[in-house]
Amino acid sequence: MNIDRHESFEHLIDESLAGAIAAEREQSLREHLDTCAPCQEYLSASNRVIAGLGGFSFEVNPTLNAKVFASLRLRAQQVQAAQPRRLRWVSISLAAIALTMGGSFIDVQFGRLIASVLDIQRTHVQQGLLAFWIAPSFLVLLLFPLLPALSRAGTRREERTL
Amino acid sequence: MKSDTQQIALGLRQRDVVVLEALVEQYQYRLVRYLIHLLGKRDGVDDLVQETWLRVLERGSSYDGRSRFEPWLFRVARNVAIDAMRKRRTLSLDSDDDDHGVRPSPASSEPSPFALAARTEEAERLAHSLETLEPVYREVLVLRFQEDLSLQEISVVVGAPVSTVASRIYRGLATLRPQLEGDTA
Repeated sequence: MNIDRHESFEHLIDESLAGAIAAEREQSLREHLDTCAPCQEYLSASNRVIAGLGGFSFEVNPTLNAKVFASLRLRAQQVQAAQPRRLRWVSISLAAIALTMGGSFIDVQFGRLIASVLDIQRTHVQQGLLAFWIAPSFLVLLLFPLLPALSRAGTRREERTL
Repeated sequence: MKSDTQQIALGLRQRDVVVLEALVEQYQYRLVRYLIHLLGKRDGVDDLVQETWLRVLERGSSYDGRSRFEPWLFRVARNVAIDAMRKRRTLSLDSDDDDHGVRPSPASSEPSPFALAARTEEAERLAHSLETLEPVYREVLVLRFQEDLSLQEISVVVGAPVSTVASRIYRGLATLRPQLEGDTA
């Protein structure tokens, strides 16, 4: 038997075991195996390796499942708890945006009217709106980028207490 | 009526802990076995298993239920292992080199997990070779011959082309075959 041809059949055996062989080549391999003792031995050794790989029995730590269950339940609670908190922060931020814009709008559109009704100077109206409306809501708005970090800190605090 | 994989996908999307616990029961041994083959050691596997299931909980919505669950689970486990190793900086997995970054574990004084787990004569004879075999070859051998994954599924797990997966299987078999050649079946 030509050595190259022999090697090509050994490669076909590898392909067959790996599940990479085409049907027509599988047929050709079967026919060859019927008459070739070295290739039969090659296949047999390969099958013994595969059987050997199935001869290992690894021990699973008996407490592992319980640990996994506990950590899954804890994480599921944390994930569920984090969702409303995130929603709450987003709502607060949206409200802050609306308040900031609303305060600025009232100042521009109705500042003069309010000053005349209350009989005070226009600048006093502006200062009042700025100090008690626009600036506080704008401050909350500035905190927006810090919200995810605050949320994570809250989660970690809960984690420590659980 | 939904298929099993679709039910799993639905449970994972809803972060249903009951579904997850059933999956843990069903796949725990196989996950442990895969990670031992990937790492070549027993130490640290429990932590990776725990982290894998937490990642399944957190990112379960990415499993669509259209393919088998096992390849997706093993891919998650592999990523968890790679992340952990990168963090510890003791190994470098998944780099761009031709072995896809999975490299042998540093020498350890602990007994080989394969020697400890061998239950048959063939397994005993393979244990040492398995220990010294490159992880990329051990990994594909366990996925193909123990997990019965197809080449395409293994390709998804390891993130390598099918042809590369096939070559690794041939090479892994070629490395182990001399240990058992000449035996009578």
